[in-house]
Amino acid sequence: MSLGKFLALDKLSNFFNVIRQNGGIRASLYKLYRQDDVKDGVLVGEDKYGNKYYENPRFFYSRNRWVEYSDKYYLNYDGSQVPAEWFGWLHYKTDLPPHQDPSRPHYKWMADHTENLSGTTAQYVPYSTTRPKVEAWEPKRKDSV
Amino acid sequence: MSLAKIFSVSSRVRASGVSGVIVKRAQYSSSSEGNVEKVYPQNIPGYKYVNAEEQDMSFRAMSDRAAQTMFWTELARGFAVTLAHIFKEPATINYPFEKGPLSPRFRGEHALRRYPSGEERCIACKLCEAICPAQAITIEAEERKDGSRRTTRYDIDMTKCIYCGFCQEACPVDAIVEGPNFEFSTETHEELLYNKEKLLSNGDKWESEIASNIRADHLYR
Repeated sequence: MSLGKFLALDKLSNFFNVIRQNGGIRASLYKLYRQDDVKDGVLVGEDKYGNKYYENPRFFYSRNRWVEYSDKYYLNYDGSQVPAEWFGWLHYKTDLPPHQDPSRPHYKWMADHTENLSGTTAQYVPYSTTRPKVEAWEPKRKDSV
Repeated sequence: MSLAKIFSVSSRVRASGVSGVIVKRAQYSSSSEGNVEKVYPQNIPGYKYVNAEEQDMSFRAMSDRAAQTMFWTELARGFAVTLAHIFKEPATINYPFEKGPLSPRFRGEHALRRYPSGEERCIACKLCEAICPAQAITIEAEERKDGSRRTTRYDIDMTKCIYCGFCQEACPVDAIVEGPNFEFSTETHEELLYNKEKLLSNGDKWESEIASNIRADHLYR
């Protein structure tokens, strides 16, 4: 163990490193406000919705990969905003990010990802996909009388 | 009793100090073969005796305990533990940003898959409906215009579903799968009454991950 590590000076250098990587004191405070945490890491990739994915093996397993949601969400970030392509990497199912994984299918019918839309006007509302088997009898009006 | 011991941070010093635990010595089988002395609690290396131990009631041990109580050294020790934990790395994860590990076999939200051509896989064999222990699946089938057998209704009541995964095991064409998504909580009950269109759109959204999961598990299928 080096003397710097013995005196916990590496923590200090980590601290300044984190602030520098997050773009200064103001930007770090903003990230702390929005994400409750500021960390240093390597940018692994970015999906088409603007979410950025980072990795730093210094943290323990399940804290060493994280997503920073796109700035357009501000405080309305949600766990369901991670698209299917990055889901496996973020959940430690694979070490290959989607742009390095040749086995991932790309079909033209594959749809864009949507977040969980419950509670919004775009939420799913159930409906029947068949015609009803029983239809109510509506008696015909007599034209006379 | 030294000052260092009174304000000792570690409780282990206290336990193994001058005033140790009374070790009971019991003599078993005293009559026949030679006296085998058994020590209780047994002192086996690698094991820790966790039961309540009888306290030493010698005058010295009693005065030591009284000193610790009077000087509130437990309080100081407790604050030291709290202070140490402030500087420790948290053991929890920062959920919407960091997520826990999942298995490729994880059984989450259902989805109906398609063939690479875009044709829906489900052939309305109703094996999933038959095997579903919660009877959450409802299927109606009709002949399509091109003569193929397809479902007209494929409803899953996600509030009945127990996520056992029997439906995806029963499916002969890998049409119904339990996808990896678990973030589909809703504000109302009715949003969880999925119909065929919702299940197919789930499949279209999650196909990338569903296909990767099936591929990861291909040796066991």
